Amino acid sequence: MSCWYNNTAPDGDIAVSTRIRLARNINGFPFPARISDEQRQQVNLIIRKAIKNKDFAPYSLKYIDMKDVPQNERLSMLERHIASREFVSNSDNKAIILSEDETISIMIGEEDHIRIQVILPGLQLEKAYEIADNIDNVLCSNLDIAFDDNLGFITECPTNLGTGLRASVMFHLPVSESYGDILNLTKSVNKVGFTVRGMYGEGSNAAGSLYQISNQITLGVSEKNAIDNLRVISEQIINKERKLQNNLNKINTEDICMRALGTLKYARKLSSTELIELIGRVKLGINTGAISEDINPIKLLIEGQPYMLMKTYGNMTEDERDISRAEMVRNALN
Amino acid sequence: MLCEKCGKNMATTHIHSVVNGVAREMYLCDECAAKEGISMADSGFSNMLASMLGDTLSIKKQGEQTRCKCCGSTFSDIAEKGVAGCPECYKEFYNEFLPYIKRVHGSVKHIGKNIGASSASQQEGNKVTIESLRDELAKLISEEKFELAAEVRDKIKEMEAQK
Ligand SMILES: [Zn+2]
Ligand SMILES: [Zn+2]
Repeated sequence: MSCWYNNTAPDGDIAVSTRIRLARNINGFPFPARISDEQRQQVNLIIRKAIKNKDFAPYSLKYIDMKDVPQNERLSMLERHIASREFVSNSDNKAIILSEDETISIMIGEEDHIRIQVILPGLQLEKAYEIADNIDNVLCSNLDIAFDDNLGFITECPTNLGTGLRASVMFHLPVSESYGDILNLTKSVNKVGFTVRGMYGEGSNAAGSLYQISNQITLGVSEKNAIDNLRVISEQIINKERKLQNNLNKINTEDICMRALGTLKYARKLSSTELIELIGRVKLGINTGAISEDINPIKLLIEGQPYMLMKTYGNMTEDERDISRAEMVRNALN
Repeated sequence: MLCEKCGKNMATTHIHSVVNGVAREMYLCDECAAKEGISMADSGFSNMLASMLGDTLSIKKQGEQTRCKCCGSTFSDIAEKGVAGCPECYKEFYNEFLPYIKRVHGSVKHIGKNIGASSASQQEGNKVTIESLRDELAKLISEEKFELAAEVRDKIKEMEAQK
């Protein structure tokens, strides 16, 4: 199955992925946190019927009851970014609608009744929004979606009122990070209503130098405005990181990147933390021309996550996973 | 309408509160509202609603609480959790929500995608005309929705300045 991370993408050297999320709710039902089991089933049924509409045919969407999905598969959805942590952590009564390539995922019964998500590789804000918007249009014309002229789309949390839009771009910023630029970046995007957070790990430096930037304000800012602003910010971040990567000392960079590639190719055990760090260096190596092999580092990173491994190879201890991860990576690279 | 406290600025905040069983309603300007303690802490979003709404607004006593007709939430329930119970809650407790929403988003007026039938003037988001805003302003003032009226008034000023 082809997934978002299988494809190369515009600005994919620095921008790993673009995500658009739209929060929507149906009038007459309590939000998922307060809903009764019976009402929840009604909501699921209403949405399940709605996606059978002929306008959805081109997307080949599939409705999946989460109770039919094994635990490892559920948690792997979080690891490949097609569902949220809140959604997978307790998803017995929930449902998800997926397109064949999983670039479209519609979570039913997360914080809001409906969360439409579109994820694409690289920086593709306009395209991702267009897809989400089209799906939203069909849903809005087939469902009684909660909307208020003043408050916009109604959401459980007031912080999402208005457009209900969260636009995010994930970046790989190894050199900006090493120069200590992330704090400044955080401060300056905060001022214009955006936030920065590390994708993996805690603390000031994110594991693998992967950072995500998203809009915070949803009321009083149009979708177009929010997306335009994020695109401008993203382009600046990308240009700066590219420039820094081009100015790196050639032999030192080659040394670091090739050592990382060597470890990935020959290690017999790899922890997930080690995988993230090494993948980050290999990605830098590809960007700077130090590594010329045809490698998709993001695919390896995601497929090497614990539940991604276990949904394929069955339950494993941490030690067994490290062995299996190294094997998966080795097979992909040799 | 002018602020009830200073009598100088236009009232932008409508406050309901119940102190010792006595209901109080006030229309204040931003400045005076801030002095009354309705200011936003510079912290994360998550606890803000709970702390703001819980401390400063509509602290009504048991027995006299309004409940959302759809989900049964009282505004204290909402303030405690920091989230609404159902879409209807925003209609039932519209005035209670507004000051908080204003402080989170800096606005209480949606622009952008519109699926509402009643405001054809706002179709396609950015095509709002000054005339339609003036009509809306008059309507909001007649409905005593001053917080919103102030927003709309600011928008009209902004658009006039751009002409
Ligand atoms: Zn005043
Ligand atoms: Zn309610």
